[in-house]
Amino acid sequence: MAESIHINSGQGSMNGQDHLLPIANVGKIMKQALPQGAKISKEAKETMQECASEFIAFVTAEASEKCREGKRKTINGEDVICAFKTLGLDHYADAMQGYLYKYREHVEKSEVERHHNKSLQIDITDELSTVRRGSTSDKY
Amino acid sequence: MAAIEGLPEIEEEEDREILNPLLPMGRVKKILKMDRDIKKVNSEALHLITLSTQLFIEFLAERSRTAAVEKKRKVIKVEHLRSAARNHPPTSDFLLDCLPKPAQAKPSASATSRPLPDDAPPPLPPGARRIDDFFSKPSAGKQGTSEDGAATAC
Repeated sequence: MAESIHINSGQGSMNGQDHLLPIANVGKIMKQALPQGAKISKEAKETMQECASEFIAFVTAEASEKCREGKRKTINGEDVICAFKTLGLDHYADAMQGYLYKYREHVEKSEVERHHNKSLQIDITDELSTVRRGSTSDKY
Repeated sequence: MAAIEGLPEIEEEEDREILNPLLPMGRVKKILKMDRDIKKVNSEALHLITLSTQLFIEFLAERSRTAAVEKKRKVIKVEHLRSAARNHPPTSDFLLDCLPKPAQAKPSASATSRPLPDDAPPPLPPGARRIDDFFSKPSAGKQGTSEDGAATAC
């Protein structure tokens, strides 16, 4: 039922996969977050795809609200960070604030590299540590 | 690199873990643009959304593993994702707190899921979808819900 929103092949070749992140990427991120040898069912990866899309939609919708409140038309980094705070994801807000600083610095420094379509490599270990510290607590 | 005001001085990159975006930003952009209210998103916002999505996946994966370990399972399955999401209020909020209760869930649902809180779910933001379907979709259609949960070809 509702085949159009459920994954059949899970490999992006079916119609309707555009609303999901590629399962290979999602699976890789999950594996990297887990101890070596951790096993994840295919269904769990597919569910994670859906959850990730939900996350994107929800954060962006909230960021869009912030943008609208600021009477602007283009969502910027600050809108996204404000969205995290509104959604109760403060540790993401803190991590992303740091990332935003570094991103802007990197953009200023490497304009030429960006034009050559080089992928940005930005060290966000500090920010990740902030998030991981926050994620291991059970604050309610 | 010069220190950024308010942040500790950045060490050499080779001494630190470098993180490349592990998610395709083009796809992230497609997803967020599915909301017709979303018109323009600048590059830095797209980067933040992409990276935070990665962090979210990591976070939920870690929590799911905890749920699986608690149940002495070696394979992380949908029910563990469900438990993990529901046991973390900010996450369950944005998932609209509509994860099925154990009594309402499919037979394969985890028995350790907590009952939903009594407060009303927040209003649906534009573009958001209920998470019910994700967690209650029939798992027997494509592959059996065997304990190993081994990936089988569809």
